[in-house]
Amino acid sequence: MSTVRGRWVGRALAPVTALVVTAGLTACGGGEGGSGGGGGALQVWVRGAEDSAAAYEEIFAGYTERTGVEVELFMTLTDFETKLNAAAAARDLPDVVINDAAQLGTMLGQGIITEIDRDALAGQEDVSDTAWASTTDIAGATYAVPFSAQANVLLVRTDWLDAVGMEAPTTWDELLAVGRAFTTEDPDGNGQDDTYGMAVPGSTERGYLAWNWATYLAQAGGSFLEPVPGGDGAYVSGAGSDAAVASADLLTRMICGDAPMAQPGALNHVTSATNTAFQTGVTGMYLTGPYAYATTDATEIEGLYTAVAPPAGPAGAGSLAEGTSLYAMAGSDHADAFPGFAEYMISAEAQETGMIGVGSATVVRLPVNTTVDVAEVRAGDERWELARRVYEENGVYEPVAVPNWGAYRAAAAETLNSLAADCGDTAAAMAELDATFTGMLGDAGIGG
Amino acid sequence: MAVLTKRRETAPARTAARRPRRLARAAGPWLWLAPLLLLFGFFKFWPTLWGMYLSFFEVRPYLGNTWTGWENFAQALGDDAFRSAVAHTVIDAAVTVTLSAGIGFALALLLEGPARHLRLLRTAVFLPVVTAMVAVVELWNTLLYPGAHGPLNSLLGLVGLGPLPFLSDPDSSLASVMLVQIWKSAPYDMVIFVAGLAAIDRQLYEAAALDGASAWQRMRHVTLPQLRPVTTIVLTLGVIRGLRVFTEIYVLTGGGPAGSTETVVTYTYKAGIQNNQLGMASAVSTVLFLVTVVLTCLTLWWRRRRED
Repeated sequence: MSTVRGRWVGRALAPVTALVVTAGLTACGGGEGGSGGGGGALQVWVRGAEDSAAAYEEIFAGYTERTGVEVELFMTLTDFETKLNAAAAARDLPDVVINDAAQLGTMLGQGIITEIDRDALAGQEDVSDTAWASTTDIAGATYAVPFSAQANVLLVRTDWLDAVGMEAPTTWDELLAVGRAFTTEDPDGNGQDDTYGMAVPGSTERGYLAWNWATYLAQAGGSFLEPVPGGDGAYVSGAGSDAAVASADLLTRMICGDAPMAQPGALNHVTSATNTAFQTGVTGMYLTGPYAYATTDATEIEGLYTAVAPPAGPAGAGSLAEGTSLYAMAGSDHADAFPGFAEYMISAEAQETGMIGVGSATVVRLPVNTTVDVAEVRAGDERWELARRVYEENGVYEPVAVPNWGAYRAAAAETLNSLAADCGDTAAAMAELDATFTGMLGDAGIGG
Repeated sequence: MAVLTKRRETAPARTAARRPRRLARAAGPWLWLAPLLLLFGFFKFWPTLWGMYLSFFEVRPYLGNTWTGWENFAQALGDDAFRSAVAHTVIDAAVTVTLSAGIGFALALLLEGPARHLRLLRTAVFLPVVTAMVAVVELWNTLLYPGAHGPLNSLLGLVGLGPLPFLSDPDSSLASVMLVQIWKSAPYDMVIFVAGLAAIDRQLYEAAALDGASAWQRMRHVTLPQLRPVTTIVLTLGVIRGLRVFTEIYVLTGGGPAGSTETVVTYTYKAGIQNNQLGMASAVSTVLFLVTVVLTCLTLWWRRRRED
């Protein structure tokens, strides 16, 4: 009897034991994406989603064909930072990370990226200086290789402009006038008061509202943080400047008040909800990146909108420049393979594949390689040529090299979101943000 | 018992032989529990302790952590945003727990019984609990669209009300996210109350009826006292759920507008994941854990006192 029971217990416990052992091993192993063990493939982690994976696979295939080095891609969007932190804690980072240029300061602060010898990279001279400028730390050392760039453009409904008898806006005043007309003059002609001027991602999540504000701030001639001339990497806050107050006033007045020109609920909206507001005919304008062309063309308003340069502010034209960079990770077993990988990624071949390889995922928005002719690659779509011009002539990056830059952006978004929620005193709110920035800079030891 | 005692006295050799068996019997339950305890230990207890430990460090996963003592706690407690998140969490937990339990109890009274149509209705009412949270919350996001043409506002318009701003105004956002939470958790409470109602001895009702008790008196003096243990469970679970509310709020408002729906867990998420302050996020989580433990112990103590 006891033998039978023993066998039964053994059978019952076997799967449980297997589960425990498997779970233990999985947890200890640090995941498949890690570079530990020195295997052959180059481990590349990308923050992205959906069709982007196919686009990157296509680029990596070209790299493997040329060098014989296999690439193992791991892509995730929402929990990318969590996974990277876990890999860092396990000291088992991937070899390369492809992420926003704006992550530079954060990753520098974490000590997980390594310095790049820019001059040793073949073809580095073909990469635009504007793009390279987004990859240096506050002391001027290069810590990333640019891969893709972009600047915001303004999407405007052409049929709505016709309906209200106006032209696409070129100045702040015109922007407000068009926005007001779209909100009050029933541009879709359905007889209902259900249209609005501007799609605004007003959430504080990941600092969205501050991201939207950055373009207006540049047009007013301001900046989040200003480097102290000769200050050896020190910064002062720019949040209390007249430019910051004027641009914050412009943005928040679009959202608050009795007749707001932003879509209802804007203060809770992130990208998807804001995209929907523009794509479903709720709003007539949308300040966003050129990657929105592909997604918007797949909706009912295809052919009913145009892209123009963002309207000029008091200090002239300006647009938030952003990008995607390649980061060489600390502790990589394939550190010697990084230069070759980066050289391929900035080559004209890889850049073109990233632009048009997978139609629904433009992982290279604008090429960082100046030998690539955007107009030729994007033949027949002048909107991309416009995006290139805006980026090159008016693109302004955020101070992404400042350690833990994301926290500054988040603080700015919190201030703007609160300001827009109750139409508060802009100057007072910005003075408060100014004090917050100054405190943060001081805590980080880089206050001017 | 007497026989057993006698045997023990007369057969000491056998008792010695039984000792290992008794030991095996005592170890048996632990052996059966071992796989689960191992899993819990590895995936729950250890991370919890590790999180508490990290509360005292500036966490830098790659460079190595730096001891900072109580600084993370001081930083969190000194932050206005955290204090306001605590206030929102307390209000949210108190209101959602009370209303969920109240509505759950009312639904249980209405829908308790073995009839087939009641079973069908109970299943229908229970659906929000088993539906994926994010999907449901996205649906509510659409229903609560603040414009005049939002689904709920259209209905309100028919009776001459609205449009209401719901989630988009700091004055109404917390109430709106609480509405969604109550919708989701009231049926859960209902199921526990239904089980409690079914377990009440019918003879108590019959005796009360014979004594001439009215329906209200039967409810007041039979049903409610008999449901006391069940109510404690509902309230305890509700408070724990309320204190760590995250998904509904994160998807609906992300803590906004103007921080009006920020709760302790959304604050923790922002500090840890968005602002890379993992030490401070750990400190806040530790405080939340301790508060939850204290509240749970207080509830249990109160329950025991009442039952004694």
